[in-house]
Amino acid sequence: MFGLIGHSTSFAVARQRAEELGYMEHAKGDLDTWCSTPPQLLETFTVTSRTGKSITGGYIDSCFLPEMLPARFKTAARKVQNAMAYAQKNGFNVTALGGFTSIIFENFDLARFQKVRSIMLEWERFTTGNTHTAWIICRQVEENAPHLGIDLKKAVVAVVGATGDIGSAICRWLKERTGVKELLLVARHQGRLAALQQQLAGGNILSLENALLEADVVVWVASLPKTMEIDTSALQRPCLMVDGGYPKNLDTRIQASDLHVLKGGVVEFWRDIGWRMMQIAEMERPNRQMFACFAEAMLLEFEGWHTNFSWGRNNISLAAMEKIGQASVRHGFRALGLSDLVTAPALSVS
Amino acid sequence: MSVPATAPSPTAPAADLVASLPDFASVAYKDAYSRINAIVIEGEHEAYGNYKSISTLLPEQAEELNRLARMEMKHMRGFQACGKNLKVTPDMDFAKAFFAPLRNNFQAALAEGKVATCLLIQAILIEAFSISAYHIYIPVADPFARRVTEGVVKDEYLHLNYGQAWLKAHFDQVKEELMAANKANLPLIKTMLDAVETDAAQLRMEKESLIEDFLIGYQEALSDVGFTTREIIRMSAQGLG
Repeated sequence: MFGLIGHSTSFAVARQRAEELGYMEHAKGDLDTWCSTPPQLLETFTVTSRTGKSITGGYIDSCFLPEMLPARFKTAARKVQNAMAYAQKNGFNVTALGGFTSIIFENFDLARFQKVRSIMLEWERFTTGNTHTAWIICRQVEENAPHLGIDLKKAVVAVVGATGDIGSAICRWLKERTGVKELLLVARHQGRLAALQQQLAGGNILSLENALLEADVVVWVASLPKTMEIDTSALQRPCLMVDGGYPKNLDTRIQASDLHVLKGGVVEFWRDIGWRMMQIAEMERPNRQMFACFAEAMLLEFEGWHTNFSWGRNNISLAAMEKIGQASVRHGFRALGLSDLVTAPALSVS
Repeated sequence: MSVPATAPSPTAPAADLVASLPDFASVAYKDAYSRINAIVIEGEHEAYGNYKSISTLLPEQAEELNRLARMEMKHMRGFQACGKNLKVTPDMDFAKAFFAPLRNNFQAALAEGKVATCLLIQAILIEAFSISAYHIYIPVADPFARRVTEGVVKDEYLHLNYGQAWLKAHFDQVKEELMAANKANLPLIKTMLDAVETDAAQLRMEKESLIEDFLIGYQEALSDVGFTTREIIRMSAQGLG
């Protein structure tokens, strides 16, 4: 059995969802109520691979809400720990840490707290899902740029959030496997940027502002700052933007002709899954689309790789990306592409 | 223009997650401890009496229930030692008043021969409440109390399991009664938590995590007994909102 740990994208969405599910106390409850609500197993479901193999899994809502940060960081940390303890105690072999879950785990260094009440967390039961996410985003760049007439061998590709776990893996892949003309590295930490550049033996460190002016392809693994305005008229045309940050909000912030924004790190399964949970994540086709990190837990369960396939920071190897990528294709996942942006009713019928 | 962060950025210093230990010798600590320690002593004493009482309703299980009762008595003595160690006199009057509403409900159920209600109050509600409080107390306890409490927690899981096992075996017959008992007694737990919020905070135990940890244990027990997720969420929302 595999598990997915997720959460609502906002307090308002969480309340609405609680109302839909008939949990009126939570729908009406204030933030304090949610802060002391334990993780809930909201759904169990079966997923059948293209190979014919079926597995069962469950969706655990940690009851974390983005509004808990930054002030209630202890609450946020507890939500993650409790959801993980729940998954382990209930026999999930491998569980993906979705949304902010893995970010909180990493940034708060929750690996220091292995014991949660009487449960000693077994890290090998969890995965950040970042290897699959990184691989999917790279495939999205490789598959979609040519459709826009962008030849990657001649293109400038900027990775925003380059030093993170996913960002650094994408940089390595784009440099080694894709062979882009120029790689622009954008991140906050100058020290980490220099280290990444050295490790890659290439790539140019640029401010976000300058990188955006030059890039034919922009891979966002960090979110666009709320206060930042982008002058779309100054961007390259055509320009492909892959929104791999969380939450995904680029398409509502940047709109212009010949500027193409893709939902990054999102995959579509080959058939419908009888679950309701992806409606929370506002997927176009919630019966078969999901975050690639969730799909990684499914892949690990399909393959019987009960291990923390993606764990820690900057441990993602190209070989691991290739391995999870092959499994992804084998079991019937594909990366979302530009053609999926068409939402005309005739095309969205499954 | 700044370079983007993952918004909202969880950048709190990681060290803040490790609770610093309070000053066990301070007047404020000892004052708060006089009430918390008394509650724990009284809680174990009530548990002793409650398991003895339940054994009169379930004579065939008297041996096991008496064993549990004796264990609670042992815990009570351990916690009395914790108070002595810090040179604190437990405020037993406060503790007796603290437990009075729950005790009254238990006694009323006992008089009516309602085994399921008695088990829900003692073996599930009080045990889940105790275990969660002990777990949260252990990291911020003085070294002596920490050792005692760690020993107690191991035993308490057995009690939780005892109540669950009986209720699970009789679930269909007692489901309605359990729902009613939940409705009548869960709000009391909230009142009790409110009553000790300030004292618990003095001991570096946060109410929010006390509630969440309690609910984790309580929901787990309800799930094991046979309730569905939907029923459990609704039941545990009654009185804790």
